[in-house]
Amino acid sequence: MPAAVAPRSNTSCIELSHVDFHYGDDGDAPALHDICLRIETGEHVCVLGGNGSGKSTLVQLMNALLVPCAGTATVFGLDTALPDAVAPIRQQAAMVFQHPEDQMTTSIVADDVAFGPENLGIPSKQIAQRVDDALATVEMAAFAQADPADLSGGQQQRVAIAGALAMHPRVLLLDEPGAMLDAAGRSMIQRTVAQLNRKGITIVHVTHFMDEALRATRAIILERGRIAFDGDPREAFAQPELITRLELELPPYLDIAVRLQEAGLAVAQTGDPHELARSIAGALRVGRGEREAIIDPSVARPRTAAALRTPAAGAAPAVRFDDVSFSYATARSPRKRARAPLFGRTRRAEAPTTFALEHASFTIAPGTTCAFIGRTGSGKSTAMELACALKVPVAGTVDVEGIDTADLERRRELRRRVGYVSQLPERQLFAETVYDDVAFGPRNLGCAPDETDRLVHEALRACGLEPTEALLARSPFALSGGQQRSVALAGVLAMKPQVVVLDEPMAGLDPIGRAGLARLLGRLKRAGVTLLLVSHSMDDVAALADRVIALDAGRVVADGAPRDIFLQDTPVLADLGAPAALVLTRLLADEGVNLDASLVPADLVEKVIRHGAAR
Amino acid sequence: MALRASIGQYYSASSPLHRLDPRAKLAATVAFMASCFFVHTGAQLVLAAAAVLAAICAAHVPMGRLLSQIKPIALFLVVTSIVNLFFVQTGAVVAAWGPVSIHAGGVEAAVLYTARFFLLLLAGSLLMLTTTPTAITDAIERVFAPLERLGVLVGQASTILSIALRFVPTLSREAEHILAAQTARGADLENKGALAFARACVPLVVPLFSSALRHADNLGRAMDARCYMSGPARTHYHELKLDVRRDGPFIALVAVYLGVLAIL
Repeated sequence: MPAAVAPRSNTSCIELSHVDFHYGDDGDAPALHDICLRIETGEHVCVLGGNGSGKSTLVQLMNALLVPCAGTATVFGLDTALPDAVAPIRQQAAMVFQHPEDQMTTSIVADDVAFGPENLGIPSKQIAQRVDDALATVEMAAFAQADPADLSGGQQQRVAIAGALAMHPRVLLLDEPGAMLDAAGRSMIQRTVAQLNRKGITIVHVTHFMDEALRATRAIILERGRIAFDGDPREAFAQPELITRLELELPPYLDIAVRLQEAGLAVAQTGDPHELARSIAGALRVGRGEREAIIDPSVARPRTAAALRTPAAGAAPAVRFDDVSFSYATARSPRKRARAPLFGRTRRAEAPTTFALEHASFTIAPGTTCAFIGRTGSGKSTAMELACALKVPVAGTVDVEGIDTADLERRRELRRRVGYVSQLPERQLFAETVYDDVAFGPRNLGCAPDETDRLVHEALRACGLEPTEALLARSPFALSGGQQRSVALAGVLAMKPQVVVLDEPMAGLDPIGRAGLARLLGRLKRAGVTLLLVSHSMDDVAALADRVIALDAGRVVADGAPRDIFLQDTPVLADLGAPAALVLTRLLADEGVNLDASLVPADLVEKVIRHGAAR
Repeated sequence: MALRASIGQYYSASSPLHRLDPRAKLAATVAFMASCFFVHTGAQLVLAAAAVLAAICAAHVPMGRLLSQIKPIALFLVVTSIVNLFFVQTGAVVAAWGPVSIHAGGVEAAVLYTARFFLLLLAGSLLMLTTTPTAITDAIERVFAPLERLGVLVGQASTILSIALRFVPTLSREAEHILAAQTARGADLENKGALAFARACVPLVVPLFSSALRHADNLGRAMDARCYMSGPARTHYHELKLDVRRDGPFIALVAVYLGVLAIL
C-alpha cells in the first residue's frame, strides 16, 4: 500500500506544537515532552511504544480529554485549551478506549450508540438514522436490541466504534482497542478501521500489535515521552536495533524475513506473508538456474507426531478429566458436600440444560504444557476453573495430582498443589504492601514466617522483580501495569504449585511483558511444573505448548500435539488462525516450495535454509 | 453466569406492553403496586390477579423468565406467609395441635398478604422486562422534569440510574472472578467469627472497590469523549409521545381497574 498521498496544504487536522504534559506535581517526570507533530486528513497513523511511553496521554491530548501543560494542541484549527472548543473537538475527533465494557453507558446496544448524538443535541429522527447507519457500518445491526453484557469483547468494541461514528467524526482516535480481544475480534476491528479509513476518516491507532502497525501509513513511536520515530512503519521495522531499543518487536512475518536474511538468504524485507512466500521461492531458485520443483512426498503431508515427547507410561497424571460435564444452571457450590439429590432426581437426568463443558475427558501428564484453544464461550475458562476446584463438575470427576477436586477433606492439600492465574490477575491485588500480597497464599496455607519470607523472595525473583526492601514495602497499586502483573503472578507461584493454570496470561501485555512472561513459563516448564493455559495467540501456543486441546461449544473437538492439531483442517481452527510459520509453510507450498510443516519461526528458517542448500 | 443478577433485565420482544409509552407504563405500575396495599377482600384479590394476568398475556414474556425474576424473593414470601399463619391470633380457631393453633385471621393474612405481595412483584418485574432501562430512565426524567426548576438534577440522576443498571452484571461477574482467584490462593470465608470473617473479606472487597473505581474512571473518560456535558441541549433518541390509539385504551383500563377496586 502506498503512503498517504494527501496534499500537504491546509489539510492538517491535528497539530501539536511543543507540547509538554505531566500528571500530578511539576516534580514528576513529564509524561510527554516537547512533542511536535501534524496529522493530515485521511492519514492512518499508528502510535507505538512500550508501557508508560506516553501513548495514551498523546491521543487524549488530541480530543481535549487532556490539555497541554505547555505548548498548544489544535484540532481542526480549534485550540483544545479553550473551553468553548471542547464539544466541537470531541465531536470531530471521537475516541474508542481499551476496555469495551467501560464504554457502554446503558443496557441496550442501540441506546448506547445514541448516547453521543443525544449529548450533541441532534433531533431524535436523525439520531435513529445515525444509530442505524453506525451499527450497519460495524456489522452489528442484528444486535441493536441486545444487552452489551451478552456480547463478546470484540462485538462490544465494535459497538463502541459505532458509538463514536454516530457522532459523525472526521478523526477516530483508538486507544488500544484490540488489547483485550481474541484474534477474531482483533481482525474484525482491523477490517472496520481499514474500511473507515478508505471512507476518508483519519485514524490514529495506539497499539501493542506490530501487525496492526504495518497496516498504517505512518508510525509515531514514543520513548519515555518523546517522539523517537515518525515515518513509514516499514522503515522503522527495517532498523532492528531501533525496534529493540524502543521496546517493540517485529511483526511476525517480518521477523521471519529478517531471520532468513541473517541466515544468508536474500529475501525481501516484507511483513506481507504472500509477498514473503514469493520472495523466498524466488531466492531459492536464484543461482540454481532451474525452475523445476522438487516435490518430496514425505514432506508435503504432515508427519505423525513421533518426535513428540510422550509421557512415561505409568506416571500418575497431573490432571485428569473423566467424562466431565458442567452447567451453570445446575452447578453446586464447590464448598458444599455432594448431597443425595432430593426427590430422587439424579443430576444426570436433568436433560435440557446447556452445558458449559460436556463429557470432557483427557489426562495431562506431569510436566506437560497444555494449551486450551477455542472461540469465546467454548468452555475454556470453565475447564480451567474445574481444574482448580473453583467449580466442581455436575457429572464426572476431575483429579489433580491424584486428588479428587470434589473431595473437601483434601481441598487444602489441593490448593497447595494447584496455582490459578485468572484473566488480568493484577485485578486481584488487595494488600497494603507487595510483600503482604505475595505472602497471602503461603500464609493461608499456614507457612511459618521465615518460610513465607523465603517463598515471597523466591517468587518475586522468579517473576523478574528484585525483592528489594523498597519494593516489598510499596503498595501494589502504585506499580506500573506490567509490574502489577508480575506481583500477581508471584502471589500464585509463592505457593509452590506443581500445576499452574493460567487463563489468557498474555492479554493486555506489551511486547516486553509478553517476552518476559514467555521466559517465565519456560523456566517453570523446565522445573517440571505442569502448565495449563488458555491462549488466543496461536503463535504463543506453537511456541509454548506440547499439547493442545481444542474446545468448541463445551466439547473437546481436538486433542493432541500442536503439530497434529494445527495440521488438521478442523473448522474451529480456521476461526482461530494458525501460527505465522505454518501459514508461510502453506504459502510456500503454493509457490512450489514444499517443506515439512513448521510451527515456530526458528524451525521454518532452518528448514528453508536446508532446503536451499540441498538443491 | 451463576451469580448473574436479574435486576433490570430487559426481555427484547414486540408486544403491546413493550410498545406502550414508558411514562404511562411507569405510572400505571406504580399505581397498581400502591393499589395492592388496599386489597383486603377476596373479590379485590381476584380483580388484581386478573389485571396482572391480562398484563402478562399482553407482554409476550416467557413465564419462566418472569418467574425467575421473582424467585429470589419467593423464599422470603414463603417465610412471611408461615409467620403470618401461626402468629396472627385473630378470628376463629381453624386448627389446633396442643399449644399451636391456627386462626382464621392467620389464614387470611397468610394468603392475602402473600398473594398481594406476589402480584406487586410480578407487576414490577413486568415493567422491567418490557421496558428498556433507557426508556425507564427517560420516563423518570420526563415525569420529574418539573423538579429541575427546584434545582434537582433530574437528568443526571436518571443517567446515573441507567449506568447503575448497566454495571450490575459487570460488577457481579467481577466479584465472581475475584472470589475465584482468592479462593485459589487459599482464602477461606467459612467457620470464622465475625471479626475474622470481616478480615477475611478484605482480599475480596478491596479488589472489588478498586475495580469499581477503575470502571468509574474509565467510564467517566469515555462519557467525556462522547460530549456528555449534561447541558440543557441534550436530546433523546426515543421521543416520548402519548399516542391515543396505543396508550389510550391502556390508560382507560388502568382507570377502570382502580375504580372497580375502590368500589369492591
